[in-house]
Amino acid sequence: MKENSVEDFDSLFKKKKNTGIKTFVIIFCAILFTVTAVYTYLSVGAVRQRMKLAQTQIEGADPVNPTLMNLMKDKAWVDSRLKMASGDSIGLSIDLEDQLIQLELKGVVVMSIKIREYSTSGFFKRMDGNVYFSMFGTPLTIQKFESSIEKNPFKVIQAPKSAEEAEAAIAVIDTLHKEVFWTVKFDREFELNIQGIDSISESQSKYKLGKGFEFKRDLKNIYNSFKQIVKFEKPTYTPEILIAIPENEAKAILRALPRNASVTIRI
Amino acid sequence: MIRTFFIYLAVLIVGTLFFVSMILFAVPALQESTFVLPKITNSQIGADDDVTNKESLEAEIKKLQTKLDKLTPSDPYIIINTSDNHFYLYKGKELIREGMCSTGKNEKLISEKGEDKFYTPQGIRKVLRKQPKPVWAKPDWAFIEEGLPIPPPGHSSRFESGTLGAYKLELGNGYMIHGTIYKRFIGQSVTHGCIRMLDDDLEAVYKTLVVGSKVYIY
Repeated sequence: MKENSVEDFDSLFKKKKNTGIKTFVIIFCAILFTVTAVYTYLSVGAVRQRMKLAQTQIEGADPVNPTLMNLMKDKAWVDSRLKMASGDSIGLSIDLEDQLIQLELKGVVVMSIKIREYSTSGFFKRMDGNVYFSMFGTPLTIQKFESSIEKNPFKVIQAPKSAEEAEAAIAVIDTLHKEVFWTVKFDREFELNIQGIDSISESQSKYKLGKGFEFKRDLKNIYNSFKQIVKFEKPTYTPEILIAIPENEAKAILRALPRNASVTIRI
Repeated sequence: MIRTFFIYLAVLIVGTLFFVSMILFAVPALQESTFVLPKITNSQIGADDDVTNKESLEAEIKKLQTKLDKLTPSDPYIIINTSDNHFYLYKGKELIREGMCSTGKNEKLISEKGEDKFYTPQGIRKVLRKQPKPVWAKPDWAFIEEGLPIPPPGHSSRFESGTLGAYKLELGNGYMIHGTIYKRFIGQSVTHGCIRMLDDDLEAVYKTLVVGSKVYIY
């Protein structure tokens, strides 16, 4: 009978160790692949579910004649702006056809900016007449604001006790540059994202890894999606419109709009 | 042994990168791609009514557009951008002058006397009164801010000439459009709520706007 040498014993041990690592790598990759597949399936399913919901909402509505669609859109656009003008607050009108974004106060355009770039979710590209008018036929109302900069910054100052103290408190102007990105959620289950950019190349580098407000927001959404998937639920899908305009104007609009402002959109 | 370890490590890294890129980029792109989405459709009516409908729709749009256009004043008016500290003077739809101004500094001053908020209110106002060579009647906060004792009402130390420039246009609630001796601050949010302008701009605005002219502030 042949006895095992010390080397044989060591190689046997190493082999077992390697098998352990191999099994771990295979299981790890399999889990990653399964999670990715389930996430992809449910995420696409969420979009389809949203489309189905839109389809259900328009059932029973009078059909829209496709040859008159553009005229009807024009009518809805002007009519909606008129409705917005009947309020006392500042409103926002976005015309993606002419690539214009405007602040309006009682029907008077107080600010008009050319949109540099924009993109819309596939949802908007697949919708038809009645869905369009159910979403954009009347002014939308903002339900929630989120922004990378403070919406209404207000400094609190303690009154100086003497003239010397007042002189010492020299006003420091905040020159720190912060990215301007803000997002609003509407009463009709979709989002508008406004990105402040000063060059086209800036808008193309969408993700400023690790620090961008938009990146953090996307990570938060992914985290929420995973939370839903763990509970075997479809993640929430919110269609969005992303618009890039010059930074100063993006900031001005953010600060001018009231919390529940009305918005009119033409796509 | 080391070689095998690096192979496994590489597999782990590639797997993780695949996962991250799928989650961050591929899935969102797939969600937005039109080929995975069904088209939302409804039945469509025939083309028989097209001509009549088209004409009536065009007439309706024209009517609505006229109604919307009428909301823009035909008289002179001014628009103030408090975020950029800019003004735009209009006559109807024609821009006749634009330039820098200064608006409210968005501050709350807390003192023993209470609180004072310094901001330019947004919305529509009207020119209520116009006055050349205005004298500034300093309110209490002007003394509080300077760390000085507050004089009684009507005291001579409350009145300053020249501080408000050559003209003032009152907008109500103590807010005004006026000039300034602090010209280097024009273009910044430094005022207590009033709108400050450079001399030439102020003169043009004073001469163009009349009592009742609208002031749009955003």
